[in-house]
Amino acid sequence: MLGYICKYAPVEIFESMGETIKRIEPQVTNFTQADMRMHPNICSFAKGVLEEVMQSDYDGIVLTTCCDSIRRLYDVLKEEFPDKFIYMLDTPRITKEAGIALYERRIRDMIRAYEEYSGKTFDEEAFAKLLRERDEEEQLAVASGRLNIGILGARANEEIHRILESQGAGAAFDLTCTGLGRKLLYEPEAVMTGYVRGLLSQFPCMRMEQASGRDELIRRYADSVDGIIYHTVQFCDNYAYEYAWLKNWMKKPMLLLETDYTKQSEGQILTRIQAFLESLGSDRDGAAKQQKSDRQMKGAEKMYVMGIDSGSTSTNAVIMNEIKEIVAFSVVRTGAKSGESAAKALEDLLLKAGLKKEDLALIVSTGYGRVSISFADENVTEISCHGKGAHYFNPNIRTILDIGGQDSKAIHLNEEGEVKDFVMNDKCAAGTGRFLEMIARTLEIDIAELGAIALTSTEKIEITSMCSVFAESEVISLIANNKEKADIANGVCHAIAGKAYSLLRRVGLEPDFMMTGGVAKNPGVVRAVEEKIGAKLYICPEPEIVGATGAALYALERARG
Amino acid sequence: MWIVDKYIEYVKEETQKNPEQSFDKILLGFKANKMRTKVLPKGGLAKGYQKLEAMMMSLVADSLGKPDSYVWGNIFAPCELMQCFDLATLSVECLACYLSGYHLEDYFIDFAQSTGIAPTLCSYHKTFVGAIDSGTVPVPQYAVTTSLSCDGNLNTFRYLEKKKGVPFTFLDVPYEDDDESVAYLADQLKSFVGELEQRFGKKFEIEKLRRSLEIENETRQLLMEFFRLQSERYYPGELISHLYLMMGMHLMIGTPEFLELVRFLVEDIKNYPPFEGKKILWVHLLPFYQESLQHYFNENDKYQIIASDIILDSVEMLDVKDPFTALAKKIIRNMYNGSYAHKAEIVGGLAEHLHPDAVIQFCHWGCKQSAGGSLLLKEELQKKNIPMLILDGDGIDKRNSHDGQIKTRLEAFLEMLDTLDKDSQRGQARQYRDGQSDAKRQEEQEEKVC
Repeated sequence: MLGYICKYAPVEIFESMGETIKRIEPQVTNFTQADMRMHPNICSFAKGVLEEVMQSDYDGIVLTTCCDSIRRLYDVLKEEFPDKFIYMLDTPRITKEAGIALYERRIRDMIRAYEEYSGKTFDEEAFAKLLRERDEEEQLAVASGRLNIGILGARANEEIHRILESQGAGAAFDLTCTGLGRKLLYEPEAVMTGYVRGLLSQFPCMRMEQASGRDELIRRYADSVDGIIYHTVQFCDNYAYEYAWLKNWMKKPMLLLETDYTKQSEGQILTRIQAFLESLGSDRDGAAKQQKSDRQMKGAEKMYVMGIDSGSTSTNAVIMNEIKEIVAFSVVRTGAKSGESAAKALEDLLLKAGLKKEDLALIVSTGYGRVSISFADENVTEISCHGKGAHYFNPNIRTILDIGGQDSKAIHLNEEGEVKDFVMNDKCAAGTGRFLEMIARTLEIDIAELGAIALTSTEKIEITSMCSVFAESEVISLIANNKEKADIANGVCHAIAGKAYSLLRRVGLEPDFMMTGGVAKNPGVVRAVEEKIGAKLYICPEPEIVGATGAALYALERARG
Repeated sequence: MWIVDKYIEYVKEETQKNPEQSFDKILLGFKANKMRTKVLPKGGLAKGYQKLEAMMMSLVADSLGKPDSYVWGNIFAPCELMQCFDLATLSVECLACYLSGYHLEDYFIDFAQSTGIAPTLCSYHKTFVGAIDSGTVPVPQYAVTTSLSCDGNLNTFRYLEKKKGVPFTFLDVPYEDDDESVAYLADQLKSFVGELEQRFGKKFEIEKLRRSLEIENETRQLLMEFFRLQSERYYPGELISHLYLMMGMHLMIGTPEFLELVRFLVEDIKNYPPFEGKKILWVHLLPFYQESLQHYFNENDKYQIIASDIILDSVEMLDVKDPFTALAKKIIRNMYNGSYAHKAEIVGGLAEHLHPDAVIQFCHWGCKQSAGGSLLLKEELQKKNIPMLILDGDGIDKRNSHDGQIKTRLEAFLEMLDTLDKDSQRGQARQYRDGQSDAKRQEEQEEKVC
């Protein structure tokens, strides 16, 4: 069996020779081999393919010259498997006649090489027959009664499709690398030339010269769906250009989703897609629902609901009554098991509110641990909950900055408090509460003091490292140079603010601004962010319970149908 | 230099406040620096490197001062064709470097990233995109890029065509090196010339191109001679001197001025003392701002970078009778095109010719084609018994390069080279001693026999 990765690969040639050729879809747990044989900063897909090939039993791999990472993947595979059919097919980027002629020539060279390798023979008549009999595959599948999502960008794996289906939505089209049905042209007078013309006239990927024509096709396709998932792969930079461009004119809601082809990232993908679908759902029937719930509110009976936000650092819970008053709240530190911390928060909260669990009409969980809370009736992502919670505390808020223990996010709201856009950083510790904790430990001060100390700074120090590990060693060097703790602390607060600002810019910087999460209690970071955005941040008295409050509001809405 | 630092700081602040109104200040600084390099060159530098710095500063300052006088390119764009139209070529990489002189790279990079450009993209491209997209740097009439070596090229120019309306020619460089590929690219080069004729209203003269290629052949031969001499003589330079030389070899090759400069380098270096230290062959970009690397390689008579693959990435002699085919061959056979085995072969050839003590490859953030093959190159060089160090960092964005980590690796590597040297000296001494005692034993035996 052979493997391939690119839609420009002439798979039908091999099929006509009786060879099985399979699209490689890596699903790996680590990049151990790739880091040893290539370099950590290579595109995650290329690294994933290397891992997959090392673990599987392919007789050969057909690659195309699609990008820098794949070119290097070829070099490594060729060296690693000298006896296998590792073939690099030089694929032109120009799709005019000159490109077609060159590609036909390259494909014929490849056929010769494979005949020599395998002992099989290519029969042009058998190939023509195969092309004649192949039906054109469907490109667009819009279905009624569900959210229809279009997928654009770099190669999307099966996981995205699976998550969409599990959430009651579906992919109406997938214009990423191998997502489209194959386009086969059959020209009886010149079978191979026609076939090559068909290959090169597929929906162009970003490496092709004529990719500028993508805009029109995307515009047409996008009209038929509710929202777009724009997928990028870590260390594959080509598609981010298009995302940056589409953001300027695309009217449809669009989610930027970066994945790295590891199984571990599935949780992060799920949160983002769920939050996106929630925002699309609220767009669709938001107005109707709002009217309905307002009507029901007036004649409502006594009722208690609970929202619980299971974060990496703290588990926060809120009990709310039928008139949206917070009856009690609780903040407990998340231990090693999020389920146990949630149980503790529940117990604590019921005690404070003087209620029994049976008194709670509905419990909605949110946060990273939301699926691990067994007593919750439903779960909603922390993105939607923060939006709802922020709107509850201050309806003027349009942009939220939430810096939690292990992630940070910027959320853009409309006047109804519905999420219009969001970006998350949950890939690295820089710009999160964990980073501040790390630095506080290095400075030998209490995390609660770090912000206050920063306010007394007199000398401006810049922490330049973007990575938290590098930044920590930079701080150690500053300590060694006898720099004042206050100045270092202030430098760190500014580094966090710099990270936060780039997130905020990506959702549009519409005032008013609010900051939530535990780090909002740090006056040093708050001041640094305010300086950066040139505006005041609204901070509610308990910034840690905004997500839980949002979850409680969802619970209230749902308890009332 | 207090005034210079103050001016840099002032321009940086002004740009961040009003990006669209700071270009005049940026240009003024470049012009002042051009004067400085001519009137008051850096004292410790070898004369040839002083002249080189002045020439490159002029290229940038003069071109940017006249927007109609240049086109944007990438480092592999065929500048010889632009020269036929009296146009200069300013590449993405070189503009990004010069703008970092105002410490503006972080602002431009953050600007680009905040619009959605990938953080993992090459920092040269991010700096360039940020500088243009923020409105800081004005745009020229036209641009040209190749697909050679770097995925960013086509995408950066396409993005800026859409956002800023700068049309461009894209030259698709095939991976395979054969006659079909050469013809395919040569045809594109001819069409490109037609495009330039139309846009700039000038007739193309093939004789001008032929002359340019003749000069290029001579320049390349002289440069090889210079590298050889630099492996024998101490010729004080800086990390950035090698980048200037790369700029010259890619943006000014084929011009009489640059030929004169290389000729001067070859003559001037002969006046310098022999070099006794460690000879380093550098692979890929040089992070010219990195303190530890500056410490070891800026005007240091113990460690000298004798050559770099980015300066001499093409070793092709050009057939002036068929200039378009010759240019196409040059681009296709560039060591950055094709498989890494091809690159390893050319780097290996350079090593055999120049006998470096070691090779250092710098893996620049975002450059997949270079980083991805670094381990393969190391294996190849091990076969030739040449030690190689791989350093990770960023050629322009200080935030991606940690000096402490680079320092530790570099110093350990240099210590290792010294140890190897002592071992081999001891080995030679032992061989000598062994040789002597063997001779003595033989004499004794002969005596006994007698």
